[in-house]
Amino acid sequence: MALDTSLGTTPAKASGSTPGTSPAGSGAPLPAARRTAKRVADWRKRVEIAVLAGPAVIVFVTFVILPVALAAYYGFYKWQGYGPPTNFVGLQNYLIIFQDKAFHSVLMHNGFIVLMSLVLQGPIAIVLALLLNQKMHGRGLIRVLVFVPYVISEVIVGTGWSLMLQSNGAVNDLFQGMGLGGLRQDWLSNPDIAIWTLLVIISWKYIGFAVILFLAGLQSIPEELFEAAAIDGASYWQIQRRITLPLLGPTIRIWAFLSIIGSLQLFDLVYIIWGQYISSTAGTSTMATYMVANGRTSGNFGFGSAVAVVMFLISLVVALVYQHFVLRRDTAGALTERKN
Amino acid sequence: MTRKIRAAAAIALIGATALTAAGCSAGGSDPSSDGGKVTMTFWHNSTTGPGKAYWDDTISAFEKKYPNVTIKAQAIQNEDLDGKLQTALNSGDAPDVFLQRGGGKMDAMIAAGQLMDISDSISSDAKQSISKGTFAGYEKDGKTYAMPGAVLPEGIWYSKDLFEQAGIDGTPTTMDELNDDIAKLKAKDIDPVAVGAKDAWPAAHWYYNFALRECSEKTLNDAAKSLKFDDSCWTKAGQQLEDFNATKPFNQGFLTTAAQQGAGSSAGLLANHKAAMELMGAWDPGVIASLTPDAKPLQDLGWFPFPTIDGGKGDPKSMMGGVDGNSCSAQAPKKACTDFLNFIVQKDNQEAYYKAFNAIPVNKDAQSVVSEPYLKTALAAYQEAPFVSQYLDTLYGQNVGNALNTSVVDLLAGKGSAKDIVETTNQAAAKG
Repeated sequence: MALDTSLGTTPAKASGSTPGTSPAGSGAPLPAARRTAKRVADWRKRVEIAVLAGPAVIVFVTFVILPVALAAYYGFYKWQGYGPPTNFVGLQNYLIIFQDKAFHSVLMHNGFIVLMSLVLQGPIAIVLALLLNQKMHGRGLIRVLVFVPYVISEVIVGTGWSLMLQSNGAVNDLFQGMGLGGLRQDWLSNPDIAIWTLLVIISWKYIGFAVILFLAGLQSIPEELFEAAAIDGASYWQIQRRITLPLLGPTIRIWAFLSIIGSLQLFDLVYIIWGQYISSTAGTSTMATYMVANGRTSGNFGFGSAVAVVMFLISLVVALVYQHFVLRRDTAGALTERKN
Repeated sequence: MTRKIRAAAAIALIGATALTAAGCSAGGSDPSSDGGKVTMTFWHNSTTGPGKAYWDDTISAFEKKYPNVTIKAQAIQNEDLDGKLQTALNSGDAPDVFLQRGGGKMDAMIAAGQLMDISDSISSDAKQSISKGTFAGYEKDGKTYAMPGAVLPEGIWYSKDLFEQAGIDGTPTTMDELNDDIAKLKAKDIDPVAVGAKDAWPAAHWYYNFALRECSEKTLNDAAKSLKFDDSCWTKAGQQLEDFNATKPFNQGFLTTAAQQGAGSSAGLLANHKAAMELMGAWDPGVIASLTPDAKPLQDLGWFPFPTIDGGKGDPKSMMGGVDGNSCSAQAPKKACTDFLNFIVQKDNQEAYYKAFNAIPVNKDAQSVVSEPYLKTALAAYQEAPFVSQYLDTLYGQNVGNALNTSVVDLLAGKGSAKDIVETTNQAAAKG
């Protein structure tokens, strides 16, 4: 609730002080001198806004809006990237995408990763956060260790894991050395288990981020609530279930949102570990690797742009639906229209 | 007030100076200015070892002979080269000289007006020392678009020591003999065949060779124009590969094995006696040499041509083979660029090329210094071959070539059939 009101009032304050709604027109007529001063002040404010926001707006339009518009334009053409596109094909690229079996399996992989990331990382991260919220020795160190994988670059993570998980790599040798030779697997090259390997790596890499978010959420729960509950005789688990989890709700929902969007756009880890060509064979291809393989690597820039548009729309729809149904209470007034 | 004006004047002056300076420097490095200094960029794919050193040495020798030319070389990892090159060509910021693989890939560049026609700039020396047939791969509509540098016939590279350990006499000439030898190697716990399926094309080369045996020369070349793979020989070639794959000839975890990088790559496995064979073009000895424990050429390396099959419309002596060469971009300074292309194929530079890459040079005079038995056998087979087909992914262009390569990998991983190869490849043509 605290989050709700604070977020709600900020835009209201801001709108009260914007030049357009400032009370110049409402009050008694002002002396001419003061009115000019006021006008100068208004004008200065506008310049200030333009100067301060201008660069950011220009960068945003140039590097976000314009590419999206260009991709939408190129998506209607068969275009190899040489010179301006001339071969207009209408929606044919989109038809091919939706009929392509490879794209169907890519959607399945993305859906699987979205779901399993939530299922695997969520509970583990909550338990870790609860644990690391206790006062104990070495807490700082463990927090750092949990967070470290998130800080390491995807390229290093991908290269490191792919070396360790090779068929004759460290992981298999370790199993062999421990007398567990039966556990040896082609972790990366067996299409039946490759996506599970990918999930483990993703979880290892991104769980630190979830833990940090949850820890921050836990810090913001007032101590008095726990005290009151304890005085009322609630057990540790009751307190976690009835107080901690509900109050952690907004944080969990935001984390889930970030995780879903991240899973939909997953590219770098797959591209590093499985390379440009074989992620679809290994069963780990995502929409983004499909786009690169069929767009850039194959030199079909028109088709690739159409894939980018499809990917953009899917992400947009998922984001809007999630915001509308799940995040609405958390962000009421900030991202949606404020209702009184 | 005056102070303000003075400040404004100072700012204007600084601005004007900056502009003039920028204009000057831009004019100074204009590559098209005749007689003045010329700077060219050059992209090749030799990122390590003696290959990289060869290009550095050749460039400095060239710069010494032509003091007004400076060449900035950039070595790009082989699998990244085509994508980067296409992006650079699209953006109008192409390198002046770059590696040219020919085939459909070259056709796309010509169609886009990105390649320089070098027909009338080839030196008489180069014309004399390089066979007409080698140039043919770089010709279109009577014009030449690249200077060949090496001939790269394909075959199976193998370790003589490992063959001996498995009790194999001689080399296999038919698929049945190859399968027998594979069984013998397996009995001795030796991985028979290394294949770098992570890069897709090395795995696809198995399919190319089966297609070369199953399909006639005409079918292969017609498909380059129609991009339709309806002839039954394409499916038959896939079945051949399926049958071969069923004997499990490839190294453990081949799907994520790279072709050329590190000891775990397919070339590395052969270099370290972890696998007995590899199907590859004639650049392989150089790659293997860079991956042996002492970074020297593999002592017991041998070569034999791809085995023959029963039936099939292809000539049993036909070969897969590429030509590596270099093109000038349409915007490159013509004289300096073609001078460089002519310089590369001079006899002494070609001999140095052979020594650096352990590969067969195109210059006929330089070919005489080739001494390794494996290269001699490969060269002899190449000269005898009635038909040398360009590698199919290059021949059919980037789009169809890529789809063909990945569908072959699917088949090897048990995720597709011979029919799927034909279907996927036909579908890919629609995306382009």
